[in-house]
Amino acid sequence: MSELIWASMADLGRMIATKEASPVEVVRAHLDRIAALDAKLRAFITVCADAALQAARAAEADLMAGKVVGPLHGVPWAPKDLYSTKGIRTTGGSKILADSVPRADATVVARLGAAGAIVLGKLNMHEFAYGPEGLNAHYGDARNPWDPGAHRITGGSSSGSGAAVAAGLAPGSLGSDTGGSIRIPASLCGITGLKPTYGRVSRAGVLPLAWSMDHVGPMTRTARDCALILHAIAGYDPADPTTSVLPVPDYTKALTGDMTGLRVGLLRAHFTDVAAADVRAAVEAAAKQLERAGAIVDEVNLAQVIHVAAASSAIVASEALAYHAAWMRSRAQDYQPDVRERLRVGAFVSGTHYLRAQQVRALVSREVDEALAKRDVLLAPATPIPATILGERQTTLGDGKSDVRSALIRLTRPFNFSGHPACAAPCGFTGSGLPIGLQIVGRPFDEATVLRVVDAYQRLTDWHTRRPPSA
Amino acid sequence: MLAPVEIDVATLRRMAALGGFAWTDAELESLRPTVERLLEMLERLEAVPIDELEPTTQYRVL
Repeated sequence: MSELIWASMADLGRMIATKEASPVEVVRAHLDRIAALDAKLRAFITVCADAALQAARAAEADLMAGKVVGPLHGVPWAPKDLYSTKGIRTTGGSKILADSVPRADATVVARLGAAGAIVLGKLNMHEFAYGPEGLNAHYGDARNPWDPGAHRITGGSSSGSGAAVAAGLAPGSLGSDTGGSIRIPASLCGITGLKPTYGRVSRAGVLPLAWSMDHVGPMTRTARDCALILHAIAGYDPADPTTSVLPVPDYTKALTGDMTGLRVGLLRAHFTDVAAADVRAAVEAAAKQLERAGAIVDEVNLAQVIHVAAASSAIVASEALAYHAAWMRSRAQDYQPDVRERLRVGAFVSGTHYLRAQQVRALVSREVDEALAKRDVLLAPATPIPATILGERQTTLGDGKSDVRSALIRLTRPFNFSGHPACAAPCGFTGSGLPIGLQIVGRPFDEATVLRVVDAYQRLTDWHTRRPPSA
Repeated sequence: MLAPVEIDVATLRRMAALGGFAWTDAELESLRPTVERLLEMLERLEAVPIDELEPTTQYRVL
């Protein structure tokens, strides 16, 4: 049983294809795990036990008949509850959409379905994805499985995805990332989460937070599993006009383990240097490890990121309120208080502020491009702090005091702003046993190199194989 | 260093009304410090030398 719970998606797919395990066994093992642990972790908003078992039986019949559709055939997963799922309610973590049942799947849900993957249920999240802590007043706050007392945040907004994947309730998930909502819970929960390049993966059928900052991507326990999911979901979609027509490579082919000659820039000022001491030490140690494996590591600064907080706040506040305007006029009392307050701020951002922010966006993107012109990837912490206690408001960073919310998004948001691909993965633990996450940032549409570096690092270390105490 | 931005509830009420939002004075008052902080940060962006750069959302879509 434990073997099925902790196997990677790649291994589960192989075990199923070779009839070492049946999809029904695998799905049942995860449903049992959810039944045992989810009351404490609150990772799921909806569990689809009957539908998942039915899909598993169908997959088993196909496999017995020799019809194998690919490496994810029969493998379970669970999306954040903002992906439209045909016939399964899609709440966005809200009261407003508590009974909303889509008539069609989001493009990426349909693509994973076509690849044979099986939905276990829908995962908890910060209401409407508007918060990095992962809080939810309607369905309960997801709890970080690394805290034995379950008093710490998972990070968000893809909070249920972080908790479920870390605790073995699901081997993989799709999160969404507007300011770090894939990478923050990945960092705080000790898993691997990839925010692809803007335009690499379709957002059609995914509830938006801010159209120009939203990204869709995988959350798993390994870089290889991220590669498998990305290959299944990436590519042009006529339903999302921002998707690229660039061909989708087989990302697993890039996972060679070879770091020889790869140029890695360690982001210093505004990134590594502002992190808490144990986070900084873990990321610096990761840089050394990559160097020993053959990478050429230097240090780099991105001076323009000091403007990101103001500019991205203006963009997200404007776009989020534009989407929610009708509900904010008629049902404002149905939002949880922190989300309602953030949405209201959008009413006070002018058109000139918004466009100035978009000019700053061009400036920051250009600077990241210049840093990557001389390097293959950039390295930084994913979050400057580990998981905080629920309700904790203030923290201390290397450059002074900060509110927790700003600290959590500080190192991830620049790459939502610029659109570059970025992956978070575990690189150590604090003295009190909480995961620390690094972040690898790559050139536009070069997710292959980003995943290659994370995979090579995971071959050299065992951080990603550690299991939380509740497991 | 720019002067801190100060904005009163009456101004906030007028701005909210332009967007079709009728929020109470108590709601606007609790929002006021956050809005002031954001507007102050946005004013600082005026000093960034970017006049020749066109606004972009995401220019990488190919």
